Amino acid sequence: MGASAIASAETGSHGASADFGHALAQRERRFAAALLAPAFLALLATTTFPLIFLVWTSTFRMNLAMPFMNGFVGFENYRVLLTDERFWSSLLISLVYTGATVALQVAIGLALALLVMDMKRGQGWFRLVAILPVVLSPAVVGMIWRTFMLAPDFGIVDFLAINAGLGSQNWLGDPTLAMVSVIAIHTWQWTPFAFMVLLASLASLPEDIYEAARLDRATAWQRFRRITLPLLRPAIVMVVIMRTMVALTAFAAIFTVTAGGPGTATEILNLYAYRKSFTELSIGYGAALAVALLFVTIIISGVLFVLRRAK
Amino acid sequence: MIGRGQVKFRDIVKMHGEFAALKGVNFDIEPGEFFALLGPSGSGKSTTLRILAGLDAPTAGHVFIDDKDVTSTDARDRDIAMVFQSYALYPHMTVAENIAFPLEMARLPKASIGPAVQDAARKVKIEHLLDRKPGQLSGGQQQRCALARAIVRKARLFLLDEPLSNLDAKLRLETRAELKKLQRSLGVTAVYVTHDQEEAMTLADRMAVFMAGEIQQVGTPAEVFTQPNSIDIAGFIGNPPMNLVPAHYTNGDIIVAGRRLKTAADLAGEREVIAGLRPSALRISPDGLNARVDLVEDLGDTAVLDLNCSGTTMRMRVGDHDVPREGDTICVTARPQDIHLFDPTTRKRL
Repeated sequence: MGASAIASAETGSHGASADFGHALAQRERRFAAALLAPAFLALLATTTFPLIFLVWTSTFRMNLAMPFMNGFVGFENYRVLLTDERFWSSLLISLVYTGATVALQVAIGLALALLVMDMKRGQGWFRLVAILPVVLSPAVVGMIWRTFMLAPDFGIVDFLAINAGLGSQNWLGDPTLAMVSVIAIHTWQWTPFAFMVLLASLASLPEDIYEAARLDRATAWQRFRRITLPLLRPAIVMVVIMRTMVALTAFAAIFTVTAGGPGTATEILNLYAYRKSFTELSIGYGAALAVALLFVTIIISGVLFVLRRAK
Repeated sequence: MIGRGQVKFRDIVKMHGEFAALKGVNFDIEPGEFFALLGPSGSGKSTTLRILAGLDAPTAGHVFIDDKDVTSTDARDRDIAMVFQSYALYPHMTVAENIAFPLEMARLPKASIGPAVQDAARKVKIEHLLDRKPGQLSGGQQQRCALARAIVRKARLFLLDEPLSNLDAKLRLETRAELKKLQRSLGVTAVYVTHDQEEAMTLADRMAVFMAGEIQQVGTPAEVFTQPNSIDIAGFIGNPPMNLVPAHYTNGDIIVAGRRLKTAADLAGEREVIAGLRPSALRISPDGLNARVDLVEDLGDTAVLDLNCSGTTMRMRVGDHDVPREGDTICVTARPQDIHLFDPTTRKRL
């Protein structure tokens, strides 16, 4: 009844129905805007505003230890930054940390996913156990590793090293070992994410093409290289993008484990910005470092997205 | 190619837990033969094909190809090509790459792969689609691509798992004829799984009819059609299926619905039997069973009648002339050699 009434109204006067449609669309748009507004405002207040404020701050000399020197300096902070050796070394450490953790997460995650796919029983349990590190707070993970795993003589890792004949090592005191340790911790915590995504993607691959490949005389390695990897490519690229962005801005775990030390051996860019701002109280310069990190992140993720679309 | 692709199945059993999918299957396939595995769904024909391909292992029994026991040989090493019901094309490769894949795996030189791919694509008429991905093809084109991938490598056995079931009716008929020609021209041994008796009848040189995990009959399509060896086969083969009516047998004659019909059987004595009468074997004659025409299904060139012979329903196929009308009463009979007799308890042919 209702539909036919509207239909006859539409055929009756074209202009009126167009007006009605217009009013309806406007009302829908207003309703959509009302639904969007709270989240949009919250986002604006918690992300966009601080970001703009950060960029603004980075153009000031703002040192809480020497407030009498504060004032607008324009790009002075950035000029200093480009000649700051510690900035370049922390950027390098950030890139090594990101590259190593992402590569390890994808490699180990993929290997685990392939292994679990072939498990006849206990898949559910394995998934449950595997996901546990992800739900822990990175700060907690850092504390656990520092005390329980890496403590000299008592830590599990050190205990195993002693038993393996390597002797007790100063895991967090030696610059190289400290870097290896923080990479291992990040990999340990976040590999399950890569594992879950890749496992889901693997499970969605049709089984019959593997049977066809077997009849086409492909070896297990050829099936992996020629079929599994190309079909998993979108998932792998997605994991790489997401993990790269997180690794570049990692903070809590390293902060609790080494706090950037020994010296600056594990001082990633994020940590350097923090130390500058809140240890040395040089807020303006710290803001410039944070903006530089933002820049690096945008460039790297831009490159990754282009690569993703490339093929 | 002659002398390659001989298959022997010896006492093959396949258990899925408690359930017996195959209960001791035996058959031989001769080189160059087009052999169909026919049966309703769940009868074990696809399981048989998968065991032959090496994709599944039998629980017991042995498979021989060219007189070599391949029961524990992996699918990779059996030199078998297969067309899957789902086609199983590699979605990330173009048609050309799909067809080239088996050749690359066989480590053929690059220079000879290109021409071989072209040749296989030409045989199934998809040479204009070589640059497409499977997702951009219609069902029929995908099916041809799967066929090309299977024939590009000169395997000794060619397996087809319901390859036509995803095509529309017209395309199915066309492809069916082409498939037969292709197999003849290649001279390969082909094993064809289908639940469609028409496909099996038209394509196969010989066929094995599966029922509930067992082979009920092996023979040429004509043999299976004219000499079904059990009630189940008789009821499965033929469209519409054979009429199966209880009857009383005495010395060469049967009594159905109170009327006596002559048969070609020479069994002595009296007994209860099931008489099988093909719808096309029934004919109208003045001295026969009285039957009322309940329903006429006109198929154009023929018509199928539902007959009621004093309580027993039978179906009859008649030509497009002299079609009785619904409600008419007619007299039907059959020639003695067209009456099949089965034992009601063993369900076997007498």
